[in-house]
Amino acid sequence: MKIFLASIFILLSISIFAQKTYSTKTGQISFDASATVDIKAVNNQVDSKFIDNTGQMIFSLLIKSFKFANGLMEDHFNENYMESTKFPKADFKGYITNIASVNFSKNGTYSVNAEGTLTIHGVAKKISTPGTITVSNGKVTIKTLFKIKLKDFITGSYIGSQIAEEAAITVNCEYQ
Amino acid sequence: MKKKILLSLFLIILVTAIGTWYYIFIYSANHHRSAEDEKTIDITASQLVTEYQTNEAASNVKYLNKALKITGEVSEIKKDQEGKTTVTIKSNDAFANVFCTLISSGSSQPVVGSKISLKGFCTGFLSDVVIKDAIVVTE
Repeated sequence: MKIFLASIFILLSISIFAQKTYSTKTGQISFDASATVDIKAVNNQVDSKFIDNTGQMIFSLLIKSFKFANGLMEDHFNENYMESTKFPKADFKGYITNIASVNFSKNGTYSVNAEGTLTIHGVAKKISTPGTITVSNGKVTIKTLFKIKLKDFITGSYIGSQIAEEAAITVNCEYQ
Repeated sequence: MKKKILLSLFLIILVTAIGTWYYIFIYSANHHRSAEDEKTIDITASQLVTEYQTNEAASNVKYLNKALKITGEVSEIKKDQEGKTTVTIKSNDAFANVFCTLISSGSSQPVVGSKISLKGFCTGFLSDVVIKDAIVVTE
């Protein structure tokens, strides 16, 4: 009887504390800061993890992994704006605040909200953004689109003229 | 005679101007670095990961944005979200490897477990040392 009760207790605690960490090393984050000319780049080497029951999440990426169609623009971006030798990384650390509304065992697209700290060019800023979590046969995709004011993070004389004041950042990460 | 000299002078200036303009605005814009054309720093995956784990800042000075030729054993092959092949090269540490994205899905596809040499550009260190625009070296 004691063993029976103990095993029930253990089983219950497993189901309560069972959590899964989803991860990817090939997440996709792109940005668009086009004003008079197209300024767009994609990074397909984003390292990201999140935990399904707490909603804790992290995205980290390397600035030099952003690819532009225009090689000259890529050099300017790295050298003059992001100073990617001095600040090689950018990251977001935070939480999905309403993770309980996502049922990871049921296919569907769930609206979520993320809050946390975004660090770019050595400058940390609190942000909050709506997004979606799509569950499809155990595969999870997180998507969001948000805007940042470039002058909050970097300086440069072209911001506001050739470069837009705000950059639209698109996150599209498929997890295993 | 004077006219001819002036004319050829004018032509030379024109050609130089067009050349400079072409180099700055067209060639540089469309030209991307290729690890194929550059002198590489040759290193094993284990050595590269160990150096990054020991001192990331110093390793960035040595390797960031440089063309590297990395040798090691392939532990994983996958596709990224754009369909490009990614190759993970094993190091001595099971939790940190060298993660490479190939520039295109060329003819020589790497095989898990085989020894490989890749040329590519180092973009830094996350949980792995990350390499972009990699090319498989066939010897």
